[in-house]
Amino acid sequence: MNAAFGMELRRMRSLVGWTAVASMVYGGIVAGFYPTIRDNQAMIEQYMGLFPKDLLSVFGMEGGLADPGAFFSMYVGGMLWPIVAAVAAIALATRPVAADLEHGFLELVLSTRLSRVRYLGTAIAGQLVAMAVLALATVGGILVVGRVVGSPFDAGRFMLAGIHAFGFGITIAAVTTLLSVLTLDRGRAAGIAAGLVLGMYLLDAASKVWTGIGGVAALSPFQHFQTRPIIDEGVFPIADFLLFVVVATLAWGAALLLFRRRDLAA
Amino acid sequence: MNEVIEAVGLTKRYGTRRGIEDVDFAVREGEAFGFLGPNGAGKTTAIRLLLGFLRPSGGRATVFGQDAWTEAATIHERVAYLGSDPGYLGGLTAAEQLDYLGALRGLPKRSWQAVAERLELDTTVRIRKLSRGNRQKIGVVAAFMGNEPLLILDEPTTGLDPLMQREFLALVSEIKSAGRTIFLSSHNLPEVERACDRVAIIREGRLTEVRAVAELLGDHWRSVNLLLAAPAPVGHFSLSNVEVLAQTGREVHLMVLGDVGPLLDRIAALHVADISITTPDIEDLFLREYRAPAAVVGPEPPEPAGTEARP
Repeated sequence: MNAAFGMELRRMRSLVGWTAVASMVYGGIVAGFYPTIRDNQAMIEQYMGLFPKDLLSVFGMEGGLADPGAFFSMYVGGMLWPIVAAVAAIALATRPVAADLEHGFLELVLSTRLSRVRYLGTAIAGQLVAMAVLALATVGGILVVGRVVGSPFDAGRFMLAGIHAFGFGITIAAVTTLLSVLTLDRGRAAGIAAGLVLGMYLLDAASKVWTGIGGVAALSPFQHFQTRPIIDEGVFPIADFLLFVVVATLAWGAALLLFRRRDLAA
Repeated sequence: MNEVIEAVGLTKRYGTRRGIEDVDFAVREGEAFGFLGPNGAGKTTAIRLLLGFLRPSGGRATVFGQDAWTEAATIHERVAYLGSDPGYLGGLTAAEQLDYLGALRGLPKRSWQAVAERLELDTTVRIRKLSRGNRQKIGVVAAFMGNEPLLILDEPTTGLDPLMQREFLALVSEIKSAGRTIFLSSHNLPEVERACDRVAIIREGRLTEVRAVAELLGDHWRSVNLLLAAPAPVGHFSLSNVEVLAQTGREVHLMVLGDVGPLLDRIAALHVADISITTPDIEDLFLREYRAPAAVVGPEPPEPAGTEARP
């Protein structure tokens, strides 16, 4: 339904717009620093050598920072994007069911011809659009500033990294949507989702120090969100991306099924 | 006459918490049906069941002959709904909000214009800047802007000033004239009295009475208000056809059913400063209902008039 989707876009435009600007600016700033790092590779590596290797690997600082794959995977893939994706996904995914129910908006729209499935389906479409915009803004900021500072990056590889980042983001959004339908409580759903993201991040970090937990750590989406091979070698991790898509599809599908049959009482 | 809404043994429990219990009623096509009860009695729960927002714990509700839970989306095509606390989007103007709701209901743009003008709603101001009353007007406009055959209104006049309440009643009257059906939930008794043909009274989740408003008002009940020179002795008005609704010091509010002679004899024994005997309004009847122990509407006829006295 066009009206519903139009309203969905309108409702999220402020959050997505400002987050995209912040993400683009941050990505641009990081790209702006890159030539300095590249041109002072020896000094930087000497400095990095002061830190314990395990600690560096926890933060994804493996390999030389002059290598664009390592550099951007650490500053953008390992820091900026998980925060941006989690903030946007949690804010967007807890709104259409839990927050709108608490606010009284849900009854208003669901008393019309708009069915529950179409309402939530529209919101999910909005989440897809939001994640795509954010990923594009982040990659766009890097590519534009890279050109400006005389470090043209491989646009194709960075776009592939953006697609993989999109997969990571929609996974968080889909699981949070399911939590929102399960709890019908924005605070609880957001709290659980944020806790899960943090827990998964810590699990991934811990697995780099304690290699024995590698099996369990495979559950963490951070393990499957590696952009370095994409940027450095142009190899797209299709299995990891498909895993994100499958998890997201299952979570959204479960949310839609559950929402159809759920009592709507705040 | 077709039944637009039918509830049979309709029950909703929230875990151990009561919602509504074994509620039976039917709303006929073209009538205005009032659903009366204080806050927490179960009115909104009943409406949410009718709209398919909640799944019944027992019994069933049908709207236009279709199951309210399983066929909710189909039913909504023929229903206009005003909730008790609608969450409009504060960043929109009333016009934008109404156009959006209209689009979801398949109405053309600006369908709301005529009703908004009648209710003097400024549709250009952002909703977050509107007063409570003006926000309520948005809901009333939204409910009346389409041509759906059934309107379900939950506390529709909350926050409206008396002039707008009058306009609301005029809108209800027009809807009834057009043969459309109204289900009006309220605790505003005069509003129900003026707007509705029949009324159901819900108390602690159970229906206690479903009757025509005219019948409720037109029985042989009389409302008697006394101002006495001195408080009356306890039990002074204990008669089989008299109910004491309130007795506070020198003021007494009674209801009498049928023959008023015995009551007048009792009153004559007192020093009366002032007296009024009127046909009771629905508020009196409601008050009387709430003073009585909870009783459930059933197939048995009510007690014959004047056979039981209540203190």
